[in-house]
Amino acid sequence: MDDKKKIIQLRKLKKYFPVNRKQNLKAVEDVSFTMYEGEKFGVVGESGCGKSTLGRVILQLYKQTSGSCVYYGKTINEINPKYIRKEIAKLKTYQENADKNFKKSLVIDAEIEKLETEHSQYDADGSPDDAKKAAALSKKIDKLKLKSKEFKKQASRELREGSRTVGSLILCRDIDKIMELFNKAEDEVALAHDAIVKKNEVKAKYLENAVVLEQIAETGAQLKEVEEAYKKNPTLELEASMRDIKALIEKNRNVDVEALKKVNEELAVKIKSLEDAENDHHEKEMALRDEAFTFRGKDILPLTERCLDPEYQKKLDGNYETGINLAKLTPEEMRYLRRDMQMIFQDPSASLDPRQSCGKAIEEVFEINTNLPAAVRKENAMDLLEKVGLKREHYYSYPHALSGGQKQRVGIARAIASEPSFVVLDEAVSALDVSVKAQILQLLDELSEEKKLTYFFITHDLGVAKHFCDRILVMYLGNICELAPSKELFRNRLHPYTESLLDSVPRLAIGEERKQVEVLEGEVPSAINPPKGCPFHTRCKKCMDICMVEKPKYVEAEPNHFVACHLYDKKEN
Amino acid sequence: MEEGKVLEIKNLHASFSIQKKDYEVLHDISFDVKRNETVCVVGESGCGKSVTTLCVMQLLPNNGKINSGSIILDGEDLTKMDKKEIVKVRGKKMGMIFQEPMTALNPLLTIGFQLRESLMLHRGVDKKKANEMAVEYLQKVGIANPESRLKQYPFQLSGGLRQRVLIAMVLSAQPSLLIADEPTTALDVTIQKQVLTLLNDLKKDMNAGIMFITHDLGVVAEIADRIVVLYAGRKVEEGTTEQIFRNPKHPYTIGLMNAVPNVDADEYEFAPIQGTFPNITEDIKGCRFNPRCTKCIGKCFEEAPETIEVEPGHLVACHLITKED
Repeated sequence: MDDKKKIIQLRKLKKYFPVNRKQNLKAVEDVSFTMYEGEKFGVVGESGCGKSTLGRVILQLYKQTSGSCVYYGKTINEINPKYIRKEIAKLKTYQENADKNFKKSLVIDAEIEKLETEHSQYDADGSPDDAKKAAALSKKIDKLKLKSKEFKKQASRELREGSRTVGSLILCRDIDKIMELFNKAEDEVALAHDAIVKKNEVKAKYLENAVVLEQIAETGAQLKEVEEAYKKNPTLELEASMRDIKALIEKNRNVDVEALKKVNEELAVKIKSLEDAENDHHEKEMALRDEAFTFRGKDILPLTERCLDPEYQKKLDGNYETGINLAKLTPEEMRYLRRDMQMIFQDPSASLDPRQSCGKAIEEVFEINTNLPAAVRKENAMDLLEKVGLKREHYYSYPHALSGGQKQRVGIARAIASEPSFVVLDEAVSALDVSVKAQILQLLDELSEEKKLTYFFITHDLGVAKHFCDRILVMYLGNICELAPSKELFRNRLHPYTESLLDSVPRLAIGEERKQVEVLEGEVPSAINPPKGCPFHTRCKKCMDICMVEKPKYVEAEPNHFVACHLYDKKEN
Repeated sequence: MEEGKVLEIKNLHASFSIQKKDYEVLHDISFDVKRNETVCVVGESGCGKSVTTLCVMQLLPNNGKINSGSIILDGEDLTKMDKKEIVKVRGKKMGMIFQEPMTALNPLLTIGFQLRESLMLHRGVDKKKANEMAVEYLQKVGIANPESRLKQYPFQLSGGLRQRVLIAMVLSAQPSLLIADEPTTALDVTIQKQVLTLLNDLKKDMNAGIMFITHDLGVVAEIADRIVVLYAGRKVEEGTTEQIFRNPKHPYTIGLMNAVPNVDADEYEFAPIQGTFPNITEDIKGCRFNPRCTKCIGKCFEEAPETIEVEPGHLVACHLITKED
């Protein structure tokens, strides 16, 4: 899976909701996984397992408690987030802290050495008094060793944090110079951004004029067409559409076509020059970064023994983050990015405004995210309605006039209007009838292929998950139980919870084909006081002693098949 | 009346009036429920499955009415009863379990109060005896420490437990007919499995018939003895579970079966029934399914199909099916 492009990576993501002063509801606990571009990623589990919370945390609708969620759909340079400057400013501190911690550990190491020589002296004698002293010393040595290890760990933690912004350059002695270069590169990014904003403004004006020119050329023929359709099949929608076209003709009656054409030619030249400026800034930025990276591997600070090891440097380079750390964005930046990350809700009627026509609901997306002229917005909205299998006339209908399936189609059209690359579907087909459900799933499947969408598909219907998703994540009480490709998960279920969950699904088989299965007893415990050790041990049939004490590690038990269960810990050892 | 039949619905026609116009929502529905048998009524939302239960319970809203036909429960025709008589039958002889257990229980009263009320009303016992019986029934539906549960309020119980309490409440009246309207739709799969297993176990010693409304064919396979498939207010197919699952005849039933992704199959292509479910205000000539049917023949657009018995107990209403098949 390494050749696939990452789109979202979660690292030890946690989300706690405070219940009162002392207690937290642990909705999501230490979740780490990676989603790849174009993947349909399914999440299943019982209600209260944290699947919806996880979806919302990824979209930053809830702030995470700790951990990180990095988005790779856009690069930092495209968004130009403010936190990058702060990170650059912190580089020096990271380095200094690492240095300080490492030096402390060295002092302790020296002390350990001294004590060890003392210890060996006592060892030679055999008297009980000496033995006592030797024991005390070795205890002390162990304690110091632990302390030294802790300092070393802290040092490499600081280095790791720094390497997210600059890779292995964090080890260079010349960090001031590198910081300066990176800051300059950021300046260029900001300038390029300004050029883009200006370009979009001019482009909007240009498009507006172009639309008017087009309208003058085409509205007459359109009106005839709609009038004929109306004669055959008089509907309210067609009537509204007729009214609209007539109003346009009236509005454009006094436009000077020649002058408008001239204005647009000038605007086109301006757009071109702004585009050039943008490219220019980008080139400068790349040159500055390249210059900074020439320091790579040269004049390295000997912070730890490992620093000089090229393998370690490579590892730090691997930490270099091209993605965007969503939690560090300002609200405005997140709002800008949200067009890339959309959500489709379970109840389509609750997510549409009953007083707003469906077309307007979709058009609103363009109104907020782009500065397209009104006529283009409307045209786009109608195109989208057609794309999701509705008619263009549905632009004028209100949600109450549509069926559940149609409303969900409008919801989908609205979500894909901003051309997202990542969509969270929170039980998007659960409220629909079986026959319609399959229709919507087909539509989602087509869209994902056409637009390379990545889905985070939250569902409790395992049949749908199996046949719709590429990979499935099983969650229980905020923890990951199992993550595997969907077919593999059903063929080879490792976690006892997955087994019970899959067995509970009502099967279509009847008579002798029916498997007799054991019913999973009990209910999901409260997430405020989750059971100690493995969260599932209270209901697990294969519970062992260790399950009640220690939380199982999340391991790759088989290729691409991850599981968190003590049954599979042992195999690893 | 035949031996063993608890409920018999004969040629039931019902309609709703919307803006002073009558629209037929049930057209010539007939089926029956025998003692110790579970009959599943299956169909999409709007097909008339809930209206059928409301007709049986005589709980239709003010704008709905039964036009003709009869509903015979234990030998008595419910459509001919007046309001006072119905109250005596409802709850006593027929009990209903609703989809949303939270809304079916009174949030201000304890579980014990609500269970006792039902027992005292329908079984005519005093409070002390009612309390003992309530404990007994809670044990029967698999609730641990029933004594302490009696003192709790509905909000203190989880969805699965609430549904169990409702089942206990209905059972305590010893009805001859149990109507369950999507009782597991709001529950998680693991809890759903628990409730279905419970219902299957109880069926044996309840000595009653169960009419089970659902749209989930997986649940149907789990619990049904016989199946009635409704589409747009008409019965399109009826038969035993074996007959319907092994040998579905009506294109709609086949479509429904294919639309459910099979968890056990390795490969599956989503095969939806195209088009949307008709509104009751829409007037469709001939077979109501014809706009969505892929196997339409000319006759389908002109006249409504008659119900034909293809095998003993297996009834289909489709022009494609003739007696010779």
